[in-house]
Amino acid sequence: MTLTPARSWHPYALLLPTALVLGLFFVVPLGLAAYQSLFSWDLLTEPRWVGGGNYGALWRSGELVAIAGRTLAYSAVVVSISLILGLALALALNREGRFYAIVRGAIFSAYVVSWVSVGLLWLWILDGEAGVVSRVLRASGLPTRAWLSDPNVALYSLAGVTVWKITGYAMVIFLAGLQDIPKSVLEAAALDGATPRKRFVHVVWPLLRPTVAFVGTTSLILSFQAFDIVRVMTQGGPVRSTTIFVYAIYEQVFINLRVGRASALVVAFFVLLVGLTLLQLWAWRRAGRARVAT
Amino acid sequence: MRRRELAIAGVLTAVGAATLATWGRTERRAGEIDLWFSYGGNNRKVLLELVDAFHRRQSEVRVRPIFQGDYFEGLVKLRTGLFVGSVPTITHVVGEVVPYLFEAGVLELLDGIGRDTLDDLLPELSQAGTFSGGAERPLVALPFNRSTPIAFYNRPLFDRLGLTPPRTWEEMREVARAATERSANAVSRWGFSCPLDWWFWIALVGQAGGQVVEPDGRISLGGEAGARALGHWQAMVHDDRSMKPPPGRDYNAWEATNADFLAERVAMIWTSTAFLRYLEDNAKFAVGAAPLPRLERFSVPTGGTFFVMPRGLAEPERRAGLAFLRWMMEPAQANAWATRTGYMTVSKKGREALDKSGYFAEHPNDRVTVDQLAHAAAWPWEPELFRVQREAVQPRLEQAVLERRDPRRALDEALATLGAP
Repeated sequence: MTLTPARSWHPYALLLPTALVLGLFFVVPLGLAAYQSLFSWDLLTEPRWVGGGNYGALWRSGELVAIAGRTLAYSAVVVSISLILGLALALALNREGRFYAIVRGAIFSAYVVSWVSVGLLWLWILDGEAGVVSRVLRASGLPTRAWLSDPNVALYSLAGVTVWKITGYAMVIFLAGLQDIPKSVLEAAALDGATPRKRFVHVVWPLLRPTVAFVGTTSLILSFQAFDIVRVMTQGGPVRSTTIFVYAIYEQVFINLRVGRASALVVAFFVLLVGLTLLQLWAWRRAGRARVAT
Repeated sequence: MRRRELAIAGVLTAVGAATLATWGRTERRAGEIDLWFSYGGNNRKVLLELVDAFHRRQSEVRVRPIFQGDYFEGLVKLRTGLFVGSVPTITHVVGEVVPYLFEAGVLELLDGIGRDTLDDLLPELSQAGTFSGGAERPLVALPFNRSTPIAFYNRPLFDRLGLTPPRTWEEMREVARAATERSANAVSRWGFSCPLDWWFWIALVGQAGGQVVEPDGRISLGGEAGARALGHWQAMVHDDRSMKPPPGRDYNAWEATNADFLAERVAMIWTSTAFLRYLEDNAKFAVGAAPLPRLERFSVPTGGTFFVMPRGLAEPERRAGLAFLRWMMEPAQANAWATRTGYMTVSKKGREALDKSGYFAEHPNDRVTVDQLAHAAAWPWEPELFRVQREAVQPRLEQAVLERRDPRRALDEALATLGAP
């Protein structure tokens, strides 16, 4: 059965609200940003045409590559570790009973705490001298680091805090995915002599793939949007080691008074995200074709 | 039917657009003025009490104080407000940004404050003395919470170790080394800490005999003096391992420095006179204040903020704003602010009154802040000064010190950014 519209314009009318919202809040601002990236402007004085000067300055200073590199490194750590930890916790806690319910609730609770509160809490925990982490390590005779002051460590400290916050979310989604797998399938595999490891590899994992894709995508989006945690904990430092994309954009427009430079970063960020999306689409289609072939 | 729906949609769109267009407009009743401020903690409390006192004194002008975050967050909001046409009657901004805002044509002239008030302002803290040639410029900034960098030290600890506040850079290194305490492989007490911040670097540049903008208007970042300033910090951090660079940027680093000092994790810090009362009130030990040391000469920049009024206010609102500022700058209010915070009084009569009352004898730390003003260096009237600070120098100080980069090269790179769009 095929549905045909009563009037040819009906589909367009139904699409119109979405198109308007997307246009107003996404396409138009992006177009404006692209236009403004061609000017040197501080909001107060007259804009000055510089063409590709903002892009050139970002490229020549090495900032563009450095910011993209840091953002990708931060996202890679956040997405991979929160996925692995979330799945491991979901597998371990996918059981009935009050104890497991309490543990699941405790882990998920971090996700509902505001980013600012999380940042302030971890500022205290990660203090290089008085923080809990350093004190415990010192008391154990282990070497400690300046977790937020060492340029080689700070980005990964922030990634660790982000993982702590969002792993509960990944765990809950994975739990839903696990509980969606029919018990009869798992029982049939067990009756056929499949070990727990084989049941996971050949039954659970394939059925969980859409969930993994969902959690991976949402974690990726969340990691690329990171701002609060940087603003509260490191303000982009030390030595710019935690200046990732959204914070860099904020810094250019609100601290350096450079609307054009910030707009150029917005465009570059958009290009990076489009590239990653295309890569992800390609990977999914390739995986889909491989599954069909087998 | 369709025509009627289109008409309704049109009306809704128009109403929405009108709502959006007027969203940011500030509604103020007659006699009501908005004061955007950036003070937290005790300073905020003192300001609000002064505003209450102003309301008790008269009934024509009502002040609405609105907190806007720290100085830089406040500036962001002011700039955005100027762009969308939603501005306060009065706000306060750091000195470095005054030339930029003036050249952008967004500041109201403040001559209407009155000759009596202007004559009573201490020149080194007012526009006339804070900026080179400030007296020849149109008056757009009035001083209120003005400060300088200052050294605070743990007095009983210094007594116990037989140390006195350093008067030279060399002594500073010796004192910091002597006050540093190490246990096993960790430092349990640092001799010195200071935010790796533009303001303190400017102090070092001045002490090394340099200036960031040369008399001919060329931005030099102090030349050799700028490099020596960075080198001094590098030596204390890496060679002596006696200086703790605090974590965080901007005022986060300042707060961390104060917290370390109060927790006795650091023996001596450089911070602002603005924290004098806060540190005295919150330390479990006697806090001593000392002027910053010299290399070629004694030198400190002035800091804190100036009151400004955005251009284009309605005349009654402008007059109401000036009336409030005039009252705030009277000796009694200027002194109330200074003695309860740590900022310096901006009134000549106010300072004389404090002197005569024996206030400085009772509060020797306050005396240090006032005496150090003799070495205050004027800022250049340079519209790019704010950009030099925020974009060229500030982000590179931390890197240059922590990664021990060649100071001259780091400053050359900072200079190179200034020509970029």
